[in-house]
Amino acid sequence: MTATAIRLRPGQQAILRYQGGRMGISAVPGSGKTWTLACVAANLIKLGAIDPDQEILVVTLVNAAVDNFSSRISAQLQMEGLLPGYGYRVRTLHGLANDIVRERPDLAGLSNGYQIIDESECTRIRKRIALDWIATHQDFIEPFLAYEDYQKKSVYSGEYNLPRTIDSIANAFIRLAKDWELTPAALKRHLAESAIPLPLVEMGFEMYTAYQDALIYRGGVDFDDLIRLALRCLRSDPALLALLRKRWPFILEDEAQDSSRLQQEVLSLLAGEGGNWVRVGDPNQAIYESFTTASPQFLLDFIANPDVEQRTLPESGRSTQSIIDLANALIGWTQKDHPNPAAHTALTPPLIQPTPADDPQPNPLDCPACIRLVERALTSDQEIHFVIDAVEAFLAEHPEQTVAILCLRNDRAYKFADLLKRRKIPCVESLLQSTSVTRLSTGAMAHILGYLGDPTSNRKLSLAYQVWRRAARDDEEVWKFHKAVIKIVESCKYVEDYLWPTPANDWLEAVVKEQQPSDILDELTAFRTVVRHWQSAVIMPVDQLLLTVAQDLFLDPVELALAHKLSTLLHQLSNANPDWRLPQFTEELGTIAKNERKYLGFTQDDDAFDPDRYPGKVVVGTMHKAKGLEWDYVFLTAVNNYNFPSGAAFDQFQSEKWFVKDQLNLEAETIAQLRTLIDNHPFDWYQPGQATIDARQEFIRERMRLLFVGVTRARRWLTVTWNTGRPPNKNVPAVGLLAMINYLEGI
Amino acid sequence: MLLTAEQQSLLDQPLQSKIFLQGRAGTGKTTAGMEWLKKLLAAGIPAHQILVFVPQRTLAQPYLACLRDEVAPVHSLITTMTLGGLARRMVDLFWPLVSTEAGFAHPNQPPHFLTLETAQYYMAHLVRPLIENEGFFESLSINRNRLYSQIIDNLNKAAIVGFPHQEIGARLKSAWIGNIEQLNIYDDVQGCVDRFRQFCLAHNLLDFSLQVEVFLKYLWPLGLSRDYLTSTYRHLIVDNLEEDTPVTHDVLNAWLPDFDSAVLILDEDAGFRSFLGADVDSAAALQASCDTHLWFNQNQVNTPGVGRLKVGIGAVIGRLQARPVEIDERSTGAIQDALITPDVNIKLFPSMIRWVAEQVSALIEDGVSPGEIVLLAPFMPDVLRFSLGEQLDALGIPHQSHRPSRALRDESATQTLLTLAAVAFPGWSLAPQRANLAMALMQSIDGLDLVRAQLLTNQVYDQRVTDFPLKPFETIPPDLRERITYRVGERYDRLRNWLQAGSQEEALNLDFFLSRLFGEVLSQPGFGFHDDLDSANTAAILIESVQKFRWTVHQQLPEVEFAIGKEYVQMVQDGVIAAQYVRSWEERSPDAVFLAPAYTFLISNQPVDVQFWLDVGSPSWYQRLDQPLTHPYVLSRHWEAGQLWDAEDELAAAHETLHRLTIGLLNRCRKKIYIGMSELDIRGYENSGLLVRVINEAWRLSVRSGS
Repeated sequence: MTATAIRLRPGQQAILRYQGGRMGISAVPGSGKTWTLACVAANLIKLGAIDPDQEILVVTLVNAAVDNFSSRISAQLQMEGLLPGYGYRVRTLHGLANDIVRERPDLAGLSNGYQIIDESECTRIRKRIALDWIATHQDFIEPFLAYEDYQKKSVYSGEYNLPRTIDSIANAFIRLAKDWELTPAALKRHLAESAIPLPLVEMGFEMYTAYQDALIYRGGVDFDDLIRLALRCLRSDPALLALLRKRWPFILEDEAQDSSRLQQEVLSLLAGEGGNWVRVGDPNQAIYESFTTASPQFLLDFIANPDVEQRTLPESGRSTQSIIDLANALIGWTQKDHPNPAAHTALTPPLIQPTPADDPQPNPLDCPACIRLVERALTSDQEIHFVIDAVEAFLAEHPEQTVAILCLRNDRAYKFADLLKRRKIPCVESLLQSTSVTRLSTGAMAHILGYLGDPTSNRKLSLAYQVWRRAARDDEEVWKFHKAVIKIVESCKYVEDYLWPTPANDWLEAVVKEQQPSDILDELTAFRTVVRHWQSAVIMPVDQLLLTVAQDLFLDPVELALAHKLSTLLHQLSNANPDWRLPQFTEELGTIAKNERKYLGFTQDDDAFDPDRYPGKVVVGTMHKAKGLEWDYVFLTAVNNYNFPSGAAFDQFQSEKWFVKDQLNLEAETIAQLRTLIDNHPFDWYQPGQATIDARQEFIRERMRLLFVGVTRARRWLTVTWNTGRPPNKNVPAVGLLAMINYLEGI
Repeated sequence: MLLTAEQQSLLDQPLQSKIFLQGRAGTGKTTAGMEWLKKLLAAGIPAHQILVFVPQRTLAQPYLACLRDEVAPVHSLITTMTLGGLARRMVDLFWPLVSTEAGFAHPNQPPHFLTLETAQYYMAHLVRPLIENEGFFESLSINRNRLYSQIIDNLNKAAIVGFPHQEIGARLKSAWIGNIEQLNIYDDVQGCVDRFRQFCLAHNLLDFSLQVEVFLKYLWPLGLSRDYLTSTYRHLIVDNLEEDTPVTHDVLNAWLPDFDSAVLILDEDAGFRSFLGADVDSAAALQASCDTHLWFNQNQVNTPGVGRLKVGIGAVIGRLQARPVEIDERSTGAIQDALITPDVNIKLFPSMIRWVAEQVSALIEDGVSPGEIVLLAPFMPDVLRFSLGEQLDALGIPHQSHRPSRALRDESATQTLLTLAAVAFPGWSLAPQRANLAMALMQSIDGLDLVRAQLLTNQVYDQRVTDFPLKPFETIPPDLRERITYRVGERYDRLRNWLQAGSQEEALNLDFFLSRLFGEVLSQPGFGFHDDLDSANTAAILIESVQKFRWTVHQQLPEVEFAIGKEYVQMVQDGVIAAQYVRSWEERSPDAVFLAPAYTFLISNQPVDVQFWLDVGSPSWYQRLDQPLTHPYVLSRHWEAGQLWDAEDELAAAHETLHRLTIGLLNRCRKKIYIGMSELDIRGYENSGLLVRVINEAWRLSVRSGS
């Protein structure tokens, strides 16, 4: 479809007339904002609005959207007879920051080959620092805690208690400090000048300093540093800024509701005064703002600026009229009738409109009865069974439809997945396991390297065999054959007699004498050839050994690409640690395999998740991860006052820990102290407890938007349930759920 | 040999001429230069009076080769020389005349010339305590070895550009625009430079920079040494003038009047060694000192398609540089037959490698000789080289790769030799890891596989003992002996006994030890290096490296009490010394596809039919080398004091580099350029650098002019 070949909706037509200046677009869920923005980019290229050395810069939120955008623009350009991949650059903010820093890494104090330490490594570093801090600062933290003596062990060693709280504080503190461009040295100066004691900032500062030292030791930066340093480069060198402004004369920003202060700053600098900048977003879908400076307010302020052309994309063909009405009712109720006035601003217009009658994406046929809001109280377990019964019944009747069960947390989603599997209902967990390919492929290579590091082990040899033939696991019949081979390999007492036989000792000959079937003998011979190839390669540098193994192990280009990436990583590690040998490299691969990794650019797991690939299966995931996705049938679970509080007296808040004195939200209090330190306002001093209350209001608003996101994932069928929680909890339905029930009942 | 009219015009010049010959690559200048050499010889001029001056020794190969091919015997040898070679030779010859004046602490004792690796060793010796105890380079995150080599590079730049080494820090600081912390780093650089120079003067050590400085400052002005040079060499041929340094050009300029004849050859659109200090402008200025100026224009290499591609790419880059490019309409037009891109968008790096291998295979099937195909990338990282090699092997395509240097510690033969040395000298307390010893034994003993090597190591090796750690084979339980096999056991015992005997010779030097280990055991039948020429070559290089290390270090640092061998092994493991060695130039095989870094191919100066440009999305095609402690432009002769280096300069430099590199490559391509590109690079990063945009634009212009 090209921009000109299809019927455009009125909202889209107005936007596609864009030729320059600033434009702010409020979109609704399912209104095709990505497609529209891609059309704007393609149109500008087609119109010759850019020179050969210029590009249209498209900035979006996550890697998955980068591919999506690029392919849409490419497709449109190809339809116009132009070369694809030319004239535009789609980047996440991190990708863009990386591009900027790579222009002049020296200005950021980095060398050209600087490393980006991935998220799992950063998390590991931070957790270690938090634990060390607790171990050495018990006297410091005790005054903040309130618990009985017998609870002490649980408070200090319980995974979910103090260690996690301190780690969360470290995370929030470090992220925010970076967002405010505060280095440890700058913080130290502020602290030295502070007139009042700010103990929580002292704590955050110590962990931040230790964290940055750890990054420097590893010769790298984390993802947040990248953005901060990109800004430093732009500010240090006016010529660089001028150059990049020339290179990117148009900036198109998607998902602008999640823009942070730094993102706004970087893009604003790049656009320049009066520059060409289009921002699209849905403020009602801002769900990533906790303890960062991300805020939908940046977008709202931008749109409200008189110099900005205001546009809306209100038409959406995603859901039935009834679901649209329900979502709109939620906006209306939140604005006027939410019992907590602080929540009134959580959701804002535009309201969702259905698409025009002859639109290429018509709304599904309306079905008021397909909405089911369950008022009855269910325990946590009952809710799981209730939902899965409903899913089973639905799929029996509608095997071609797509279904999702959406929860608030991964562990809850896994419980749904477990029961689905037990009841043999096909389910898809990829939204939960975001790094499956990375984990599996890396794990496979780790097993082979593990064997090569301990070549006399028949157990590891048999594991290597299983890895080599792992593609056959899905086929029970074929796997049965391989299991027989595995058993035989395991029985091989002296591995050398199999792999490197002598005339006197040839294990395979003995197997022949046992009259094993010829296909098994062929298989054993083939495996021997492969292992001998790997063993001969152990004298090569580890990166080359890994590639040699990968050539035998992988056919899939994505896995091969991963092998190349890993071998580059191992090459660097081997340069940094010349004394490392196979066991250390194997351990490193194992670590990669176990942990989630966030990479810039390529990861298979970042490829856009497409719900339509799984008709007749149940996708389990979280509401957060479901953003941008849609299913025929959506189950929203656990919509109670614990997950969606309103600020009522009996509401409990997840960040207020039972073992903290006065149940303060220590993260929020730490951040508030940090604000006090930086603002240094004479009349705005830190008030203990105020930040905890403010954080509640923020959480309430964010969760209202999350509920809205959840509702608008459904095309035709929607069921919302709640649970009372595990005893002794007595949760009640979320007020938002009750409001929707009232709406449906016409109250 | 059939010469072009332009080439003939050189030969038609009288013998007593000073000729400045310029032209683009592929116009036959070097061939003409060789013919000029033959003309000199044919005129009866003795070969020893002829000096062929080049920026790098390998560039003199064609001149030496053409003499070998001569039918008539040449009774003496021509001299081929670089500035470094000249400086070293002169300092060696005239040392007593200048050693006092140059400030050496022991003028009556002989000089010691440092290799790159021994210079790096001494630099490490001096700088390491400054980093560890005095907070030098605190805010910099950089590999230590790169740090040392960049400080040395700064000294070399000062010498070849011709400014006092005391100004290095100030020059770098005056151009810096960014964070203030970097200014302290430049101060630290200057501190290290000063200390190193003082150390060298105190110990009669001459690194490259000091050799050049002593030559230029004290010897070149000296009548005695000038007379010596003038009387020795009467005829001069300089090739690749543009790749040489400003002080070389100064020397040549002053020297020219003393020669009876001179041919100075300059390659336009080149200057590929600018990061090493090459200066195109000072090269071009030598034209004024010559009496005849010849200009070669006829490209003997390009087909019309490649010619048009060159014009197109030149025009696009020219536009980026805001440099008007006059284009002859006749030279524009379709480039489709010369520029081959994949039919489909390739996303992943391995897919690009596969595509390249398939295209190479198809070309060979179509009758293109493998030797006429080169695979080029700005750098040829090990992973890329290895993956390409594997793919070509799988298709049965012969290939040859060239890398200018390689870390000694990456060679398995080196590792084996040094591991065995560490076993033989337990006093060093460098007991190898079990896995290392298993691999060393596997490589050393013919017929020993990895499984048995591990079994053997587990049985005979005790890491904890302080004396010789290997037990005899007979101490192993009989069932295990049988598993390992007695044949292996017998070889193991021979090796073990030799090592044990070696370990008792305390005075044994490591180089001598390695030499004997190789000669008496490992190269013998039944052992792993028998009939293995590659390993023999590596062993020879290692032994030479140890020897040079011992000679300089032993004599200059007697106050440091250590076993030289142990120090050497540790330094190799740390990558400080012997990290790099220059491989002797390998002749390109006519029957093998050639894999090389783009610059290596350019400098080799041998055109081919087909080039593959790999990883074209990479910024390495135009980005300057990562050198936070030095700066090739700021430390050049053209940089004005106090001028700030900003992004515009960076971009201008990038454009210039890209222009030089692409046009240089195209000048050396006869028929086709294949573009190997994937959306994501080897590390998974997006990959859309400037070269992609330039190629795209050249393509677009060609389509437009074609239509």
